[in-house]
Amino acid sequence: MKDMLKLGGLLLLITVIAATALAAVYKVTKPRILEQKRLVLERALILALPDADKTAIVPVKKDDKVLYYRGYANPDTSKFVGYAFVAYGQGYSSVIETMVGVDSTGKIIGLKVMSQMETPGLGSRIEEVKYGEKTPWFQDQFHNRNAAKLAVDKDGGKIQSITGATISSRALTKSIVAGYKILKKEISRN
Amino acid sequence: MEIRMLFIISISAIFINNFIFSRFLGLCPYIGVSKQLDSAVGMGAAVIFVMTLASTVTWLVYTYLLLPAQTNLFYHLFALKEPPDLTFLKTIAFILIIASLVQFVEMVIQKVSPALYKSLGIYLPLITTNCAILGVTLLNIDENYRFIEAIVNGFAAGVGFTLALFLMAGIREKLDLADVPKAMQGIPIAFITAGLMAIAFLGFSGLKLGM
Amino acid sequence: MSAIKVFTKGLYAQNPVFKQALGLCPTLAVTNSVQNGIGMGLAATFVLVGSNVLVSLIRKAVPAKIRIPIYIVIIASFVTVVDLSMAGYFPVLHKALGIFVPLIVVNCIILGRAEAFAGKNSVGLSFLDGLGMGLGFTMALLILGTIRELLGNGSFFGVPVTGASFEPMLIMILPPGAFLTIGFVMAFFKWLENRKASHV
Repeated sequence: MKDMLKLGGLLLLITVIAATALAAVYKVTKPRILEQKRLVLERALILALPDADKTAIVPVKKDDKVLYYRGYANPDTSKFVGYAFVAYGQGYSSVIETMVGVDSTGKIIGLKVMSQMETPGLGSRIEEVKYGEKTPWFQDQFHNRNAAKLAVDKDGGKIQSITGATISSRALTKSIVAGYKILKKEISRN
Repeated sequence: MEIRMLFIISISAIFINNFIFSRFLGLCPYIGVSKQLDSAVGMGAAVIFVMTLASTVTWLVYTYLLLPAQTNLFYHLFALKEPPDLTFLKTIAFILIIASLVQFVEMVIQKVSPALYKSLGIYLPLITTNCAILGVTLLNIDENYRFIEAIVNGFAAGVGFTLALFLMAGIREKLDLADVPKAMQGIPIAFITAGLMAIAFLGFSGLKLGM
Repeated sequence: MSAIKVFTKGLYAQNPVFKQALGLCPTLAVTNSVQNGIGMGLAATFVLVGSNVLVSLIRKAVPAKIRIPIYIVIIASFVTVVDLSMAGYFPVLHKALGIFVPLIVVNCIILGRAEAFAGKNSVGLSFLDGLGMGLGFTMALLILGTIRELLGNGSFFGVPVTGASFEPMLIMILPPGAFLTIGFVMAFFKWLENRKASHV
């Protein structure tokens, strides 16, 4: 029994040492991790609102939760460019998160898939950049279209879906329509 | 609504995201213990039991001890200024919980039912390093499951693992009698078989469960 | 055993994946691209070398009864370091590898080496053993990743190489492809061995 206590104590001591060391590592890496998350968001916002000034994209919040963003072309926020919102759509094997930018008429001015874990080679091609090109071809199709009236070709729309990955293509497309609807409701409420 | 959600989680853990065929978790025991149906039963039962238990305990520990939220017990216990963020201890805490749970279960079973201990006993120590157990507890956190959902997910993932183990053991017992090329005998042919079964399981992934 | 042999045995003769069938889960799960495979391999190598050295350093002070829990704590600590650093400096890779980063803890190769080698040998040898096994693991991931990405996506490291006339076999980067590939690669190594044995 005494032996067990001694061993248990030693194990506890080692665990505490390990935890302390990890706390130090966490202290160093935590700001980096948060910074990376912020960068993902910032890059997405720049792509969603290409004409906006980087410093003049303002989140509109309710109870600490960001509802959408307002983008302006100049730092003194006098010239309004458009809104940006995050659209969530249940894809084939994951939730597809997309940052979408629209102008005041609902025309899409930019978008960027922020998170998805769709099937490699199929659904994940929503982010595919063809070799030698710079932007993902699937997402490029959405530019200058009305966010309220989007549909993939199989549903009679103009968005060419990815071969073999209709579910992912449709999920992204529909999530934008749904997200835009919510955005309009929020805007009219404020 | 709740029941429906639990049903969706179960079906998805057993078939669509089967731990073996789609998530690649728990392959070492899968290849190691799938030679006979008898041992597959023992291993499967032990995994289901420990997975459910581990899901329960790790969820509670993560939510009430590690997560920086108002519910953090350290925050109240030591009257801290703000909830401490101990999420970085997740891996180390979970693996220690699983290791102690396995030890504990082993002791209890040995005391309560020597017969059960005899059939499950040898599989329990193997479970600590079975990545399916740690895997399911980490997935519960990643997926933001609530308490009941985490428990159901743990149980269902164990059932999915056992299903895969059964199917494989059934095939491998027959395979022993088959004329397999020398180089393919043993593990290689087991993998090829698993590959063919994974193709079948791929069919489940088309299943669309309304959320 | 000579120091060189301690290092090289992990590469081929005792390759953890192909010869010992250890660490299979990450091997199959992350090799749908070369990049993910190498990332996982190097992360595991770091943990393996770190834990081997530390375990060897304290091997005389550790009571035999609780050595396994102590090894697990050490390994889990190194894994957490890798996990946090990867999240901070390589977020894309971290996301692609997902829960397989924390799962390095239960990679049987690492605990296996701590128990079978580092707990009994000097720091220098343990370092070499960890490095050899880690690189052997990385090599196995590289081989599988190359085959799967080439056949399944027609590319290597994300760069298309097969040209338009080759229609990629998607199945290779999906889960079944992982099982089939490792099955055939292991059979190939066994065949090589059998041939060598019959020649002697």
